[in-house]
Amino acid sequence: MEAASRQAASTIEPKLLARVAKGDQQAFGQLYDQSSSLLFTLAYRILSDRDEAAELLQEVYLEVWRKIAKYDVGRGSPIAWLVTLTRSRAIDRLRARASRGQHLVADSFDHPLVSHTPDVSQNPYEAREDTELRQMMAKAILELPLPQQQAIEMAFYQGLTHTEIAAKLNQPLGTVKTRIKLAMSKLRASLQHTLPPGEAL
Amino acid sequence: MTHEELEEAVPLYAIGALERSERQAIEAHLLSGCAACHAALKDYQTVASLLPFGLTPATPPNTLKAKIMMAPPPIPGAAEPEQAGSKSSLEPGEWMNHLFPPIAPARSMPFRLAMGFAAVLIIAGGGYLAWLSYTQTTERSGEIQQLQAAAQQETARVAALQLELQQKDQTIGTLKSEMDQRVTEIAELRDQLLQREAELDDAHTLLTQRDTSQQRVARQNEEFAGLFKNPSSKVVSLAGSDMAKSAGAFILYDPATKKAWLYAYNLPALPSGKVYQLWAIDDKPMSAGVFGLDTGQKARMLIKNLAEFSRMKKFAVTVEPDGGRPEPTGAIYLIGQI
Repeated sequence: MEAASRQAASTIEPKLLARVAKGDQQAFGQLYDQSSSLLFTLAYRILSDRDEAAELLQEVYLEVWRKIAKYDVGRGSPIAWLVTLTRSRAIDRLRARASRGQHLVADSFDHPLVSHTPDVSQNPYEAREDTELRQMMAKAILELPLPQQQAIEMAFYQGLTHTEIAAKLNQPLGTVKTRIKLAMSKLRASLQHTLPPGEAL
Repeated sequence: MTHEELEEAVPLYAIGALERSERQAIEAHLLSGCAACHAALKDYQTVASLLPFGLTPATPPNTLKAKIMMAPPPIPGAAEPEQAGSKSSLEPGEWMNHLFPPIAPARSMPFRLAMGFAAVLIIAGGGYLAWLSYTQTTERSGEIQQLQAAAQQETARVAALQLELQQKDQTIGTLKSEMDQRVTEIAELRDQLLQREAELDDAHTLLTQRDTSQQRVARQNEEFAGLFKNPSSKVVSLAGSDMAKSAGAFILYDPATKKAWLYAYNLPALPSGKVYQLWAIDDKPMSAGVFGLDTGQKARMLIKNLAEFSRMKKFAVTVEPDGGRPEPTGAIYLIGQI
């Protein structure tokens, strides 16, 4: 199991998904081992609740089970597909929670994009490729000005639109748009040179 | 939105920060096949999907895997069919499903670089085909839905027309039965009319006959009156005998036409089988005709061709058996001399 868990989320092979699509339980287990940590981190970041994040992950993996035959390697890397699905379902829950009048996640920097002292140490249970990617991502984010980090955080993890962000921050809409654009542009530039080999499929 | 605005909105779209209307505008633009925006979105979407790598890792509960693994495996080949066109709009992250895979990073070795480049080309081609197929499927699906809606409308119209047709049929049936009734009534009326016409003919005939008898009486009266008024006419008076003392008669004679009229009155009623007979007497009596009585014990008789009136000396009326006799046999009732 340790060998499997050491495999990187960023290097999930499309072949593995093809095996899962054929009903291969072992392949499904491996897919879980490679992706669950990242997806749980994402769900917990959005929902701020471990139990709800775990519940969400059950739903997401069930959906993966059902929809995996539709997965097309031409449409994106396996982990990008999984991240997109998990974020989408977590934001759905967040909005449902808001529509019930329940408490949303705390604004902005209670849960920053990265820790100001990011954990960039080698985790013995983490694959080398993921550790490298994590370190590069952390570095790229920390290079962004704080207002840009904040805008990205509110859009991606809180599911807010630019209009909502501008209203919350009491900033002009144009300013918020510019912050997001600049942040995305810088991240793109940084990652163009630092993407791990696994992302090339 | 101008193309520049659309291009600037791509990173916001990739991270899910656009309003719904803006999202739809971008999606429409991407579906129109703008290669530059497509390439930019591919990069930004990859960047967004890598953001969670920047988070401090959290470990899922140990029990989670067991729970998830209990889910029944999917039946191979029985995946949910792709329902292209069923969504009105793509969710922010859904565009990911139509993207090319993340770009290849820079390589130090030329061979791997070439391999990576080739892989990108192949995958890009595949992605484009998938995107094309999706677009076409969406269009087809839209067309099919339109056709289905049109077919449903036509079906409803056909049903309405059938109903109308049935109503028309019923109306026609009602009218036909009414018409049959009218035809029967007309036939009856025609029969009645024919009957009336026949009756009318009978009445007409009857009337004509009546007219004829009346005309005859009138003609006789005229003839009698004409004879009476004629200055050349000669009159002979006859008086009643002992048999009929109150009776009397006179004879008018027209020498031009040689016609004579007998007019008698107060003659007694005749016994059965008897008639009165007029005799013109020269040297011996000659029958001038027989007659019966009208109502009121009157008698009137036209005598044609009474030759040699001037030679006659007497006229007498006797009662004779039916049909009269060549010579007088019965009693004299009237007698008169010229």
